[in-house]
Amino acid sequence: MYRRLLININQVRNRLIHTHNTRLTLPSTKCKERESFAPVTWAPCTARPLGTSSISFSENKESSTSLSEDKGKTPEETELETEPVVKPEDRKQVETTKSGKESLLELLGAMKVEVTTVRKIRPSKTPRMSERPDQEPMESTHSMFQRAAAEGSQQHGTLNPALVAAVSAAASTLPNRHQAESELLKQLRKHEAIPDTQRRADIGHIISDMKVGKRPNGRSNVRPTSQIRFDDDGKGYTQDRGITSELDGVRRRKSPFTSKRLNLFAAAAEQDALSDLGPTLWDIDLVNQIVQATNQMPRNGFEEMIQWTKEGRLWQYPINNEAGLEEEASVPFHEHVFLEKHLDESFPQQGPVRHFMELVITGLAKNHHLTVQQKKEHIDWFRDYFRQKEDVLKEAEAYLN
Amino acid sequence: MASSCSQALRHHVCKSSRLLRVHLQKSWTNRSFEGAVCVSSSFALNSAADQQPAVSSPEEIVIPKKKTWSKEAVLQALASTVKRDPTASDYRFQDDPYLTPKTSSEFKLFSLSQESGRNAAKYFINTYPKYFQKDYAQPHIPCLMPDTLEAQIEEVSEAALIERIGMRKVKAAVDLYDQLLQAGTSVSLDVTNQLLDLICFYGDHDPAQENVPEQRNEETEDVQDEPQAKKGRAAKASDLLKATWKEKNNAERIFALLSEPNKHSYSALIRGMVKYGAYSKAFSTYTDLLNSRLKADMHMFNALITAAPEVKEKYNEKWELIVDLLKQMAEQKVRPNLLTLNAVLKALRRCGTVGKSQAFPVISEMKALSIDLSLASYTHLLAIFYKPGAPIQGQTDILQEVMNEVSGKSFTPQDPDDAQFFITAMRICLDTKDMEQAYRVHELLGVGENWRLLGNDFQQNIYYARFFSLLCMMENIDVMLKWYRDLVPSVYYPSSNVMRDLLQALDTDNRLDLIPQIWKDIKQLGHANRQNLVEELLTLMAREKHNQEVQESFAECALDIKKIYDTGDRGKVLLNWTAGSLSDLISVLLAAHRRQDAWDMLKLFKTHNRVPSEELLNKFLMCVKEGGEVNQAVELVQISAGFCLPGTPKLIQRVQQEFELTEQQRKMLSDLEIQSFNSE
Repeated sequence: MYRRLLININQVRNRLIHTHNTRLTLPSTKCKERESFAPVTWAPCTARPLGTSSISFSENKESSTSLSEDKGKTPEETELETEPVVKPEDRKQVETTKSGKESLLELLGAMKVEVTTVRKIRPSKTPRMSERPDQEPMESTHSMFQRAAAEGSQQHGTLNPALVAAVSAAASTLPNRHQAESELLKQLRKHEAIPDTQRRADIGHIISDMKVGKRPNGRSNVRPTSQIRFDDDGKGYTQDRGITSELDGVRRRKSPFTSKRLNLFAAAAEQDALSDLGPTLWDIDLVNQIVQATNQMPRNGFEEMIQWTKEGRLWQYPINNEAGLEEEASVPFHEHVFLEKHLDESFPQQGPVRHFMELVITGLAKNHHLTVQQKKEHIDWFRDYFRQKEDVLKEAEAYLN
Repeated sequence: MASSCSQALRHHVCKSSRLLRVHLQKSWTNRSFEGAVCVSSSFALNSAADQQPAVSSPEEIVIPKKKTWSKEAVLQALASTVKRDPTASDYRFQDDPYLTPKTSSEFKLFSLSQESGRNAAKYFINTYPKYFQKDYAQPHIPCLMPDTLEAQIEEVSEAALIERIGMRKVKAAVDLYDQLLQAGTSVSLDVTNQLLDLICFYGDHDPAQENVPEQRNEETEDVQDEPQAKKGRAAKASDLLKATWKEKNNAERIFALLSEPNKHSYSALIRGMVKYGAYSKAFSTYTDLLNSRLKADMHMFNALITAAPEVKEKYNEKWELIVDLLKQMAEQKVRPNLLTLNAVLKALRRCGTVGKSQAFPVISEMKALSIDLSLASYTHLLAIFYKPGAPIQGQTDILQEVMNEVSGKSFTPQDPDDAQFFITAMRICLDTKDMEQAYRVHELLGVGENWRLLGNDFQQNIYYARFFSLLCMMENIDVMLKWYRDLVPSVYYPSSNVMRDLLQALDTDNRLDLIPQIWKDIKQLGHANRQNLVEELLTLMAREKHNQEVQESFAECALDIKKIYDTGDRGKVLLNWTAGSLSDLISVLLAAHRRQDAWDMLKLFKTHNRVPSEELLNKFLMCVKEGGEVNQAVELVQISAGFCLPGTPKLIQRVQQEFELTEQQRKMLSDLEIQSFNSE
């Protein structure tokens, strides 16, 4: 993501500076302070002495209002100083419409003031401070920062030795010192190539870059979407963004889908008598439009078979024991089984013909291949047959009526 | 006797066991062995005694309801077991592996030709029904038989009119209606209303027959299929444009002839007017309806709401008109439906800021009437809050709210605009760079039958292009490649621009070693002839030095690219060598120590009239020096001199210093030196 951001760098840098500056000024001071307490370790989340927090807050107010004219500190310094910070509770949404340059100045100024305030305040809390490890290495770094900054403001073009020194000093505070140093220098050299006008914007960007890696725990309740907006090219960023993100929680509790209604209709309006003539041309067209708009392509063989079944092109898969019972579905079973009623007056009441016909209907009752209609036809055929042969049967005394 | 005895025994045992249990709880520690045996036996009996009353008590038998299955139930169950295979092409193309599309243009061609084949068959069956009368199917399958396109009833009667209305022959029906009236026969109101429906629906034009190419005369119906089909399509498009509601058309005329038009007649007229753009006329017809003391129906209101933004200029006037219509609906006790809601929301899209404030109250209102929102409602809602191109003002949460509402639901298509939801939502995700919501949108696509609502192939392509660009932009390379393998090319054929995004993503994540693979895909997707893309690929390969293995694969890839440059398509040159692409290619080859190939490439500068850069020649010289090829070094200098490069003298100097030259070569070099000196 870090690199991704660099790619998008050119799009909307000014806005980014806005956001990050307003958000960063204050936290940065705090970090600085912590740095002076534990300068060598630089652990991102070391347990912070409780006593300092109140002091830091008081300082925050001071530094946010006081602007120093310090300018042109290298991006790497800001990077380092701001990295482990950004706590939302510290984030005071300053709604300023300053230009990118101005807010950068403010950011950097705040840092410098911080250096001095630390020193100023130190005597007042000497009992505690004296227990801390010595601040000597950090002091030298600070002085170097300032020197570098002073010079950097005049000459942007070359990579001056003071900057290099500052970088190495800064890198020394990081765990793997050599790598950090070389990375920082590389970054610096890149910036030599970038025209002066773009430079300040890029500083803002690098600040933003540094923030990305760090997911401050306090911000975890803010949606990642807003993080992306901040970290990425900030296309959607507007001034009210700060307020929105703060109001996010409030807004989320109340979904807009449960907002008040217009109250035009009575809730239980009686149903209009709709169906007059079945589907009209318009209804058919609506269905047709919906079909056209949606994807009706089968995704596999089964879906194609479903489509064919609906069109009536395919034999239906049986879903119960009555599959294929279309014409017989309305015929009750007794019509199939009790066929005696069809052996009415037209057959002899007794004798071999009667006996034969009883056997026939027994067979038909057990036949599940024929429909009731076919069974009737079967019996009718025999009726006709015996009627035709009535003479012969009577002669043989088999036809007894 | 025995049973009563056992009953008594059971009773006794129950009691004793209870006692025992109490006793055991009291003195668990000093229990005796006998006691334990007694307890276990009593427990066995006890459990049997517990079961007895359960069986004997009268239990109500609940008969389960009969479950009715649709006739596709089995197939649906089977279909639900089939998952998409990311390595397979679309189901349509699985019949013939030869016709598996590899590029988007092939996809379009194959799917359209399949469809047009079907249409052609249908056309012949319907045009020559007499040859297709044999009915083999048992039972009869109506959809396989030719449609009757000719009217069967010749006489002038109401039945004939109904038949013509059923066949949607507008002109014939109107003529017949006139004949009927002239003959003095009255036509019933229902049939007249149906006729009005037909005329209004088609705007007093005969509908263009589906699947039937336009035929003007018998004479032109020759072999010239294709141009005619094109002409036919163009004519259709222009028909749609010029199809407007004409003053005093047949619908109005027939409507005026009605002695007592009812609700249905008005409804047909108003809907027709709105459909064909006579918006203010629709409203005046509506006033007529109210004057004749009739009530409007829901369809009429829906049409009028659609027309509302057309007749008013200002945003709040539009909204007031809509509210007015809704109030009249409530007064006339017409119940709104989903289409009403969607019409209101669609109208609100054109009401600017009013839309933003009123959209949610409208939705709440409809929810109170227990109307379930369809995807079209959400589409309109999103469109109200996110205008394309406009800056997004902290409205990301609207998309999130919408996704909260719809997530995990399966939607059935209810509105033609339903199919716009996914591409709209994905557009917003892309605009706001909101990866999380994009995943949610994509997840929703997988729920139930929602995939149908993604729409046709064209929309699918847009959707996946947006999704994939977002992935390229926001996602880390491994995740992105996972999606890439999943989507391409089974559902999505990326355009060359998207492939460039992909290359940039590879670049930002330092995975340039994947370029040879991507190149293969590019070739397969048919983008190998895109100059921009190929040049970018070469630049990326040439820019940095990689390890030996990667360089080797790059060199292979570069040679492959060279082939594309060489061959061309049917004698047509697809790609033109530029100085940049040539030098990038040579650098790649040099980095892989393929001096001979690079040397061959160097000659191409001359044949294509391009000038190599000094830097490239220096690089080349370094490589030549490694190989210790004196002749090649001299030749390189000659080439450089041939291009009259300003760096030639330096090159000559280097060759003179760094190589052991023969006398002849020395002489040649000094000659060249003088030459270049003179030319300056």
